[in-house]
This record gives sequence, C-alpha cells and structure tokens, in this order.
Amino acid sequence: MSAEDDRADVERVLAGDIDAFESIVRRWQGPLVNLAYRFCRDRARAEDLAQEAFLRAFRALAQWRKDSSFSTWLFALAVNLYRSELRRIPPWTALRAEAQAGRNLYDEIETADRGEAIRRAVMTLPPKYRDSVTLFYFHEMDVPTAARSLGIAEGTLKARLSRAREILRRKLAHWANLLTSKEAR
Amino acid sequence: MTDHEINRALSGEPEIVPSSGFAESVMDAVRSEAAAPPPIPFPWRRALPGLIAWAMAIAIAVMQLPHAVPEPVAVPRTVLALCAAAVALLISLAAAKLSAAGI
Repeated sequence: MSAEDDRADVERVLAGDIDAFESIVRRWQGPLVNLAYRFCRDRARAEDLAQEAFLRAFRALAQWRKDSSFSTWLFALAVNLYRSELRRIPPWTALRAEAQAGRNLYDEIETADRGEAIRRAVMTLPPKYRDSVTLFYFHEMDVPTAARSLGIAEGTLKARLSRAREILRRKLAHWANLLTSKEAR
Repeated sequence: MTDHEINRALSGEPEIVPSSGFAESVMDAVRSEAAAPPPIPFPWRRALPGLIAWAMAIAIAVMQLPHAVPEPVAVPRTVLALCAAAVALLISLAAAKLSAAGI
C-alpha cells in the first residue's frame, strides 16, 4: 500500500473522477472491515459500518489535510464513526458476552480456547478501555498510530491499556475461580 | 493470566475477508451520493435583513425594559419597542415571501 497511490487517487476523485475512489476502497476495504469487526464481532454489521465509513470519507475527502497520511485520516474517521454507531446501538455480541460472562467464558478458559475467552472478555470492558485495546492490537501494538486513530495522547492510551489489562486479568481470574469452585463441588 | 498471554491472544486474531461484492456495493453507494443534487443552502443573503431587524428590535426592547417598569411615562417607550418588533416582523415576512418566490 503506497501513500503516493492514495494521494494520486484522492486528487483524481477531487478532480471529478469518481471511479478513482474504487482503488481507495479496494486498497482499504480489508483493514476497515477488520477494524469494524473487532469493534462489533458481527461480520454483516462490520461491512455496513465499513461501507458507511467509506461514504463519509468520500464526502469529506476535500477535508483531508495532507500533513498526515491518508490512512491515519481514514482510520480516525472510521474509528469515530464505529464508536458513535456502537454507542447508539451496542453490538449484540457485547451484550451476549456480558450475559455469558459467568457461564461459557470460564469453560473456555480451561477447555477450548483461551484466546477466544480473552477476546470476548475485551468486549465486556468499559468502552474507553475496549476501544484502546482494540486499536492497540489492530495497529500491531503501535502506540503512536493507535493514539492518533483514537485522537488521544500516547500517555493516555498507555494508562488506559494498563488499566484494561488489570481489569482483564481480574475478570479472567474470577471466571477461572468460578470454574475451580464448580469442579470442587 | 499474564500480559504475554493477553498479547498473544489479541495479536494473533484471525483476519476476515470482506465479501466479494463489498467494493461494488460501496461504489454503488458512492455513485448514488455523487449523482444526488447538492442540498439547497439556507438563503442567508435574503434572510439577513430580517434577522438583523429582529436582533435590533430585541436589543431596543431590552434597552427600554429597565426604564419601563419604574417610570410612569414608560408606556410610549414600550409602544415604541412593540412598533420596532412589528416592523422587524414585517421585514422578516417580506424576506420569507421573496425567498419563497425565488427572487
């Protein structure tokens, strides 16, 4: 993915060549759908959210100041949209994860898939911690990029990540303890 | 549960691939958006005289109000304020009519 390609395509779109936007969509559809999926854990909704993000990007293309990379601008726009949409209509997976917190999750910790249990536990975090964790791992643990996407200071992101890990450890330990006491009975 | 385990679980998340028609569907939406007529802007130029007149009328009324209560001769001033408000209302109505007529 080249920043030059993005810049050239944006200039063509702004000059009236709407078809040039398709190159942008094809280049960024994977990252935007995956990012949306990490926010909502629902494939169909992830595609709807990503489509809306592309539409908003198309409308606001002239507002991209070229002092930051196109991808930074696009991710910040998408993250704002995903967060506000999910605040409006919470993802059903988060509600289910919360409801099942005391049931299936601790089974997964000990049996099937600890990774899946951790990912579900992330969905039950308060939004500011959940968003920080989601963006940090989406950007391959790159703090500056994740902070830019969230529009917060790097120090704030680090503090939120630390607190999020603390909450996760406590939740997962609690569920593991529930399982142990269940087995003892 | 260690930080290492959390890092490993959240970093190694499987990627999902957008459905085959996703890009086409986005481009259809983009083309519809581009083909739609631009929204009609608010006619600020025509509305401005009315808005200014209203602002002036309100300002005059506010200036008159403190004197109107204690002084017995305040009635003409209140009438003056009401007249100013009425004139502003007429100007606003005229601006709205002109706007509706597309002038």
